[in-house]
Amino acid sequence: MKEILRMEDITKKFGEVYANQDINLTIMEGEVHTLLGENGAGKSTLMNILIGLYQPSKGNIYLKGEKVKIDSPSKAVKLGIGMVHQHFMLVEAMTVFENIILGTSKDKSIFIKKDAIKKGIIDLANKYGLDIEIDKEITEISVGAQQRVEILKALYRGAEVLILDEPTAALTELEVEGLFQIIRKLTAEKKSVIFISHKMREVLEISDQITILRAGKTVTTLKKDDTEASELANLMIGKELVTSEYEKVIETKENIICLEHVDFNAKSKHSGISDITISVGKGEILGIAGVDGNGQSQLAQMVTGVISPDSGTVYLNSKKITKFSPHRFIEASVSHIPEDRNKMGLIGNMSVKENLALKSLETPALSMGKGLFLKKKAITNNAETMKEKYDIRCSSVEQETRNLSGGNQQKIILAREMEENPELLVAVHPTRGLDIGATKYVHDKMIDSRDKGCGVLLISADFDEILKLSDRIAVMFEGKLVGIYSGNNPPIKEISLAMSGKIE
Amino acid sequence: MNIKNKLIKILVPIVSILFSFIIGAILIASIGGDPVEAFSYLLKGAFGTTSNIGETFVKATPLIFTGLAATFAYKCGVFNLGAEGQFVMGAVASVWISTTFISIPTPLLLVVSLTSGAIAGGLWGLIPGILKIKRGLNEMIVSIMLNYIAVLFMGYLYSGPLRDGNLPQTAEVAVKLGRIFSGTRVHAGILIALVLTVILYYFLFHTSFGFKLRAVGLNPTAAEYNGFPLKKLILTSFVISGAIAGLGGSVELHGTQFRLMSGFGIGYGFDGVAIALIGQLNPIGTVLVAYLFAVLRKGAITMQVGTGMPTSVIDIIQALVIVFAVAGSALTNLPKVKQFFTNISQKSNKEVK
Repeated sequence: MKEILRMEDITKKFGEVYANQDINLTIMEGEVHTLLGENGAGKSTLMNILIGLYQPSKGNIYLKGEKVKIDSPSKAVKLGIGMVHQHFMLVEAMTVFENIILGTSKDKSIFIKKDAIKKGIIDLANKYGLDIEIDKEITEISVGAQQRVEILKALYRGAEVLILDEPTAALTELEVEGLFQIIRKLTAEKKSVIFISHKMREVLEISDQITILRAGKTVTTLKKDDTEASELANLMIGKELVTSEYEKVIETKENIICLEHVDFNAKSKHSGISDITISVGKGEILGIAGVDGNGQSQLAQMVTGVISPDSGTVYLNSKKITKFSPHRFIEASVSHIPEDRNKMGLIGNMSVKENLALKSLETPALSMGKGLFLKKKAITNNAETMKEKYDIRCSSVEQETRNLSGGNQQKIILAREMEENPELLVAVHPTRGLDIGATKYVHDKMIDSRDKGCGVLLISADFDEILKLSDRIAVMFEGKLVGIYSGNNPPIKEISLAMSGKIE
Repeated sequence: MNIKNKLIKILVPIVSILFSFIIGAILIASIGGDPVEAFSYLLKGAFGTTSNIGETFVKATPLIFTGLAATFAYKCGVFNLGAEGQFVMGAVASVWISTTFISIPTPLLLVVSLTSGAIAGGLWGLIPGILKIKRGLNEMIVSIMLNYIAVLFMGYLYSGPLRDGNLPQTAEVAVKLGRIFSGTRVHAGILIALVLTVILYYFLFHTSFGFKLRAVGLNPTAAEYNGFPLKKLILTSFVISGAIAGLGGSVELHGTQFRLMSGFGIGYGFDGVAIALIGQLNPIGTVLVAYLFAVLRKGAITMQVGTGMPTSVIDIIQALVIVFAVAGSALTNLPKVKQFFTNISQKSNKEVK
């Protein structure tokens, strides 16, 4: 195999901080090379250097042995480096075809020779087994199909090296399998793929080589056949990780929340729920599996009082709820780890201590006269205690939360939501974007809550997370509940099928 | 972190004012004037005599009210551009009360009149607030439109039902706010303004209600998810903002103008918005900037008399302060500039240690 790309001693400094320090990466022709590392390990910075968004402070890039300077994204495209970002860069109101040709001009004519170009694109798609509907608008096609459009877009621009940033994050198991087949076809055609992920199972399935980054430095590069999951995880976090297996609860006591035939915006398959009957018991974790955008967000908003059902009944602690508002649910001891921690969970421009005090402003501990006078000192002390207890890493509790890492932001929310020992915890994608250490921490805390008798509704697009934590697993597809399974030795194959709507 | 933010917040307005005066000086020179002479007349006009100094406080008083009104609404994330209308409605209510119920003893009548001014302003602020939370209408447009209605309504009153004599103006109110410095027109209104500033500062930064208002202003979605009554808070902030402006109108009436006539309150609303922005949406900053504006206005007239420089030069300087302050705030949000300030504050931290 020939070397196609080499990044040598790449260093990138932001102010005094090294995002990348003397990183070496060599990509061979026709291989899948995985970049493995926790958040903040420097993967994104390295890739942004490769596609010309950042300039390295030091170090060189060689393409096919020749030194190149990539000073803009368009230069990267010219050199045959393409990237599929985790969040797709597609124009939603345009068709697949328009998105693919956007910004390219292969001849000098002022008119677009649609038919000829279209034929070329379809040929290209067929060559790599990319199944696309070329005249549909982006909004009409599934997430998996959008990803195929992104890949095709890069190939159409002549990519030889294709960077896939967390490509499996939003896909179902079946779609992941489809993606892997495409990747195999690409490498068979001598294209190289840089695969960024932290899902061990997938990394071990698809990679040829694996380079591990930690704290901005290269730890090592390994051949897939010479390693295994636990070794990779340990190298990634730099210490021995004790993976926890959690015991499943089989018997549950009475219900904490119960939904009966609940509808909300039922006509919409992706932003509504239809005829949902489900309950969460005290001291159990009910996991909702499903691909993002099948009504999970609406379910979460319903059981936290943000939206009210069009029809159907919701019982909280056996009491029928007549008026839905977040305030009432909070008073009834419902805690919420929302899906978008920056938008819904935290007030980014406020400090750590203020965000920690958000829900207990009017308690006697933090204020006099039900909020007439805030005890600033008590708020600070409370924050200091939480900071220790939940291991929130910030320079001080006065720091604005928007400047913290995702993991620390999530810990602030955890501290706020779990400190009061809630009766129901609604956790939506609680570990999205978190590294292994922080993920384990969040999982442990959720199990703790469960063991204290809290009912937990866990909604996650990460199937492994659902399998690991849930005592019961419910599957949502197009706003409907399509099955409930035991979390103890769950029928994985059956659940995967249900997630993609293929169920009798 | 906090040192850095405070540094930025103080530096931006000061640098903006400095830049505006430099450009103002260039402008004066370019139309054939002498900047040093012009600015010295400006200062003389503002601070030359006791009476002049007093006049700066008189001019600052209404600006403090409308500035606080704008600040308060902005803090909750809503844009009240209707302070002018609320100011006028406050004065209208006060004129009616204090010329109609003359049998009430004077001190009590004054209190009643000021209170009803605040209530009238609050009600005028309630309208855009309700339309926003019930019907989703843009509060900026509605509040601007209500300005016209208020000003025209006032015009109808002083040229119609409440006209006094042949001139289009109302009768003079009998109850007046007392003068507090002899030889000047400074009246107790400035004290009301300053007390109000302290109250608002306390309210915004030391009560849970103020905390919630600020939270809504910074991130309404998160505020809602955390159980804050979004609509109630937005409506309340509109009403309070309107009441502040209305009280301002009432104070201006009882302290300075004594009657309604053409031009009453014109421009105070938008000046208030500018003052709030330059004052970095802080009640105390608002007071300082309002005073600066008053100084510029008072000095401008003397400058025109002394040097023949048109007062519009000062208007331009005032406008430039706004431009620089807004640009400055945007600039300090750029990553590179932020880094620079972080470095500075880190250095000063080290020195302290």
